[in-house]
Amino acid sequence: MNEENPLWASESFWKKVAIWVTAGSFLILVVLTFDSLSQTEVGGKRVQAYSVINKKIDYVYKEDLHKFMPVIGETELLFGKEFTEEEAEKLVTLGKKTTQAKNCMNCHTLLGNGAYFAPDLTKAWLDKGWLSKELREDLMIKFLLDPENNARTFGSNRKMPNLHITPEEAKGVVAFLKWMSSIDTNGFPYNFKTIYATEE
Amino acid sequence: MNAKELCGVANAKLDAFVTWTALDRSNLSDGRKLAVNYFIVAVILFFAQLLFGMIAATQFIFPNFLYGFLDFSVNRMVHINAMVVWMLYGFIGCTYWLLEDESQTEIVGLKFGKLAFWVLTIAVAIVVLVYLFIQIGAGNDTTLWLINEGREYIEAPRWADIGIVAVVLTFFYNVVATFSKGKWSGIAGVLTLDLVALAGLYLAGMFYMTNITHEQFWWWWVIHLWVEATWEVLVGVIMAWSLMKLLGVRRKIVTTWLYIEVALMFGSGILGLGHHYFWIGTPEYWLTIGGFFSALEPIPLVAMVVHAVYDSGSHAFKNGNHPALAWVIAHAFGNFFGAGVWGFMHTLPQINLYTHGTQWSASHGHLAFFGAYATINIAFFYLAIQHWRGDVWMSGNAQNAWRWKWALGLLNVGVVGMTIALLIAGYEQSFIERAVEGSTWSGYFTAQNHPSFQSAMVWRWFFGLMTFAGLILLIWDLLTIGKGETRKMAIVVAERGAGCVSFLSECDHTH
Amino acid sequence: MIQPVAMQDFFITFFSSALIILAGASYALLFAWSKVNENFRIKIASYVSYIVLIIAVVLLTRAANFTGYWLSLSVVMVVGYFFAPIGIWHLCVKTHVETSTTLEEKL
Repeated sequence: MNEENPLWASESFWKKVAIWVTAGSFLILVVLTFDSLSQTEVGGKRVQAYSVINKKIDYVYKEDLHKFMPVIGETELLFGKEFTEEEAEKLVTLGKKTTQAKNCMNCHTLLGNGAYFAPDLTKAWLDKGWLSKELREDLMIKFLLDPENNARTFGSNRKMPNLHITPEEAKGVVAFLKWMSSIDTNGFPYNFKTIYATEE
Repeated sequence: MNAKELCGVANAKLDAFVTWTALDRSNLSDGRKLAVNYFIVAVILFFAQLLFGMIAATQFIFPNFLYGFLDFSVNRMVHINAMVVWMLYGFIGCTYWLLEDESQTEIVGLKFGKLAFWVLTIAVAIVVLVYLFIQIGAGNDTTLWLINEGREYIEAPRWADIGIVAVVLTFFYNVVATFSKGKWSGIAGVLTLDLVALAGLYLAGMFYMTNITHEQFWWWWVIHLWVEATWEVLVGVIMAWSLMKLLGVRRKIVTTWLYIEVALMFGSGILGLGHHYFWIGTPEYWLTIGGFFSALEPIPLVAMVVHAVYDSGSHAFKNGNHPALAWVIAHAFGNFFGAGVWGFMHTLPQINLYTHGTQWSASHGHLAFFGAYATINIAFFYLAIQHWRGDVWMSGNAQNAWRWKWALGLLNVGVVGMTIALLIAGYEQSFIERAVEGSTWSGYFTAQNHPSFQSAMVWRWFFGLMTFAGLILLIWDLLTIGKGETRKMAIVVAERGAGCVSFLSECDHTH
Repeated sequence: MIQPVAMQDFFITFFSSALIILAGASYALLFAWSKVNENFRIKIASYVSYIVLIIAVVLLTRAANFTGYWLSLSVVMVVGYFFAPIGIWHLCVKTHVETSTTLEEKL
């Protein structure tokens, strides 16, 4: 149309660039999405099968990788019961739906995402705040059922309100937290001392 | 007093209020009347955002405040939902505002548009009432469908999700059909494609998944790609149109720079999604992708700076709406610091390992959302109210100009103050809770109980109140500015230069 | 693979990251200004900003333990921030060229 406006500064050129850059970035994202989703299927290396709730889960520092990694150990039953994969999935699903229905994420963080009024739940199962691995399940259930009278405020005065969680839902939440603690989160949180590390 | 009398009184009060504002709807075309409806609801929700933000901030200092009645989770949810929704209302309003002008024809489906507005507004009202009065449900699908999906930012229950998609499709139909009947343009094309992405992405967040890694993966598609890609381009479209209409910049230049902007924003923003995939269970390559693209994201800001200087040298323009211009300048600075500086400070995985899930995100979020989106919406409200008043002159030395100046000052100082208070809290938290204590629960509370955190929360409250006062003043000003003003806005046509295409909107940001 | 920032390097990490963006913007601003206003001192100031940017990148590279391919990020920042303002400036000049505008094209 005119000589003064070189190609690289023309409207049509940048229209094409915009389209190609957008399409290209989106295509890369779609490819990576397929790859990430397949790598994070339940039962894979990064996200464990739901029946991992039958096992001992720990979180330790790996020198060669410069990061903390979940370690799946021998059998360590939850509620004294061995769950099949289906039963475990059902229980974890109930727990996950409960965490959504009770709006946990608007006080707590899960995998570090959420609100910052209450502690992160990513490794809550492994937290040394539950005193010992024998007391843990019981303390967690009691806390979920009646948080006001079993408040764990650590001197902050912040108490979880009573969310009218049923006993079955509470078990589900505990199972969900145990399963979530086994996810490989690339070393987040860093330098976390688990309940097992304290005991040893 | 019975219900009928009560209605009568309320109606009379409303009429008296409308008379008091002395705004003449006959100054507006049909499309713009619809736009104004959206703006009104946007401002009401903006008010709700700050009100519930204040309650939540109070609970950080006095945890027993409204405990068991309106818990933190409820207030925080309304705080962030009101923000997302008011900004969306603002954007839809802006689009309706420019639609008839840009397409050079009347809106095709005005009736559908009006219906969609009322459907959406009633749905929003129901959702908020359910949030406030029912709050939570049992851990089953019924709760997720009817009460709350429990997923930050997109908590709206499934029925409302479907409603939102239906309304957005109506809106989309209106935009496409109107351009098709009238005239297409580069701006129209970008707008249409952006709305396709906006609606399509929302679908990614509508499914339940037990696998929390997959769930958060898709959840970020909605949140990040809305806020850091499609919203930004929408702002670009709105600014491009404004520059042509208000400053008389040539269409060709505006369109070229809109394309450049799309290339820069989508080019850095789409894969910038990676910085949310560091720690949710997704593969390690996201650390690299997220880190690299986050480092590139400030490049558009550099472009903005260069372009602004170029334009300042090539022409000077007069402006007949000082408050709008002042808010646009606030936008440039807010976006640069909130998105650029605050974003980059904690985005590389080497440090994000400690800052993730702390008040750092809150600090960045406050300044970035305000700087990138609140400011630009407010600027547009001023443009709209000016037209509604009959294109009167709105200058810095008019009678009562102190109101908009003080509103501007209080809101900006308030948000910056909150940002700095939260920065201190976040720094302390990443240090004590994350690094020293290794993110245990006791570490979390050690950090929360620390005097520097506690006093930061008090400062945040104080600056929050300042922000709130600024908003009240802003609303008063929007209702009254230009009332009784008879001088018309000077018609200014700047001959050259894409003015602030860059200065106004080319800004990209990191979170 | 990343090597997390050491605790004593937190401040320097935040500070140098912020400084990269600020110095980058300051260099861009002064560079563009020196084009509008041919002034030797502005030009010098723009290069000073750029040197600050390089120092900030070096500080961040060390604090954030960049090794291996992460070092290319430092290079990208140093090179990218230098050339981006120059490229954008040329783009501004060329896109604003007064063409044979018809009235129709104007609005």
